[in-house]
Amino acid sequence: MHLLNPRFLRQRAHILEAIRAWFSQHGYLEVHTPALVPAGAMEPHLQPIQVGSLQLHTSPEFAMKRVLAAGLGRIYQIASCFREEESGTHHAREFTMLEWYRVGAGTPELMDEVESLIGAAARAVDRPPPLFQRRAVSSLIRADQRPEDWFFEWVDQVEPTLTAPTIVWGYPPWQAALSRTIGTVADRFEVYLGGMELANAFAEETAADTLRERIQDADATRAASGRPPHPVDTGFLDAVDRMPRCAGIALGIDRLVMALTGAQTISEVQVLPSPSAESIT
Amino acid sequence: MAFKYETSDFRNGLKIVIDGNPYIMTYFQFVKPGKGTAFTRTKLKHMISGSVLERTYRTGEKVEAADIEEHEMQFLYDDGEFHHFMNTETYEQVAIVSESIKNEAQYLTESLSVEVLFFNGRPISVQLPNFVEDTIEYCEPGVRGNTATGATKPATLACGAQVQVPLFVEQGEKIRVDTRTNAYASRVN
Repeated sequence: MHLLNPRFLRQRAHILEAIRAWFSQHGYLEVHTPALVPAGAMEPHLQPIQVGSLQLHTSPEFAMKRVLAAGLGRIYQIASCFREEESGTHHAREFTMLEWYRVGAGTPELMDEVESLIGAAARAVDRPPPLFQRRAVSSLIRADQRPEDWFFEWVDQVEPTLTAPTIVWGYPPWQAALSRTIGTVADRFEVYLGGMELANAFAEETAADTLRERIQDADATRAASGRPPHPVDTGFLDAVDRMPRCAGIALGIDRLVMALTGAQTISEVQVLPSPSAESIT
Repeated sequence: MAFKYETSDFRNGLKIVIDGNPYIMTYFQFVKPGKGTAFTRTKLKHMISGSVLERTYRTGEKVEAADIEEHEMQFLYDDGEFHHFMNTETYEQVAIVSESIKNEAQYLTESLSVEVLFFNGRPISVQLPNFVEDTIEYCEPGVRGNTATGATKPATLACGAQVQVPLFVEQGEKIRVDTRTNAYASRVN
């Protein structure tokens, strides 16, 4: 039984208002791309929801990069995103994602931006802006581990220590996804607030050939666990070479509202909770 | 072959075996790093010692189910070392080391009905009703006009348990106590 919590929902609206005001002040244009797409994901462990021959996007990343290639400059989007097999106190099959791209910037500028944006969202609900510490991934966990062992140690040992607001940067290269790599480090960072993984940022990789190789690697990982390959968004791959140098970040709005209001479960901050798979079938 | 639970079966109250010891799940959380596979983080309470263990499981990992039986039994007496209970249907009597049920023992009064938990056929603990009602045998007199919220004073119940009660509660009154937290719940009229 889900009881609507008017306090959390009002605070959610104030936070969204402050976020849109922040983007407007910082010269960003709001875009809205389709949720129904040819390819909903590229990463091996994301499961898109299939709708006929199309999929619901797990993030608006591919579409927004096509918009960037068309030369629109700084853009942002607040979109419902969908991920199959994800449900829990911090996960819902449908959730709200904020994604923005800053043209001409790298990860350091984006770290400053996300801190400033979260500060504005906090002030909108009369909370002090969180002060973030910045930690290199290499200072938290050994890099030379098999991916499954790396993630187990991350979840079991590292993540529980990230209770203070933290920006974690510089990931092993096999976790580059769509980010560029510098030497043996993926130029990516994640933001932790309230002990939750709140946002994920890339200095974007813009070479189509490199991305094709990553897609092949991801499909090989999927095949090893009996999963079919993801469909390929050819429109994205055709456009990516024309993308300007930029950095992009995706931030979970529901988790931001949880962290700023003290809500304990994602369903409390969603206007109506995402129905579970059982209640649909 | 013992029955096994998978991570998708996890829920609060699940009883499992780790290294031969019975644990009850008090917390579980689905965790999925953005770039990784899914895990379940849990908190498990040792069903005899009460110590808490934190464990992370990989999705699909299996854990052994604990063979736990519950029987409704009547509390008989306490000989200083053991608490004795009787199954009211079979008249079977069992004894539990008093030290291991210290918190529950303070609420046990003669002939109170409780659930006794058996692990692999051995009695290990008792489960009290969530709320019990009892009379306050002793507490300081109430302070008239003191309505400070949250202010409390110690009270001793007829069964011997010590609980904190609000200042307006008087000696001789009957109250309801939450046995899981040892907290005052309400007055009983």
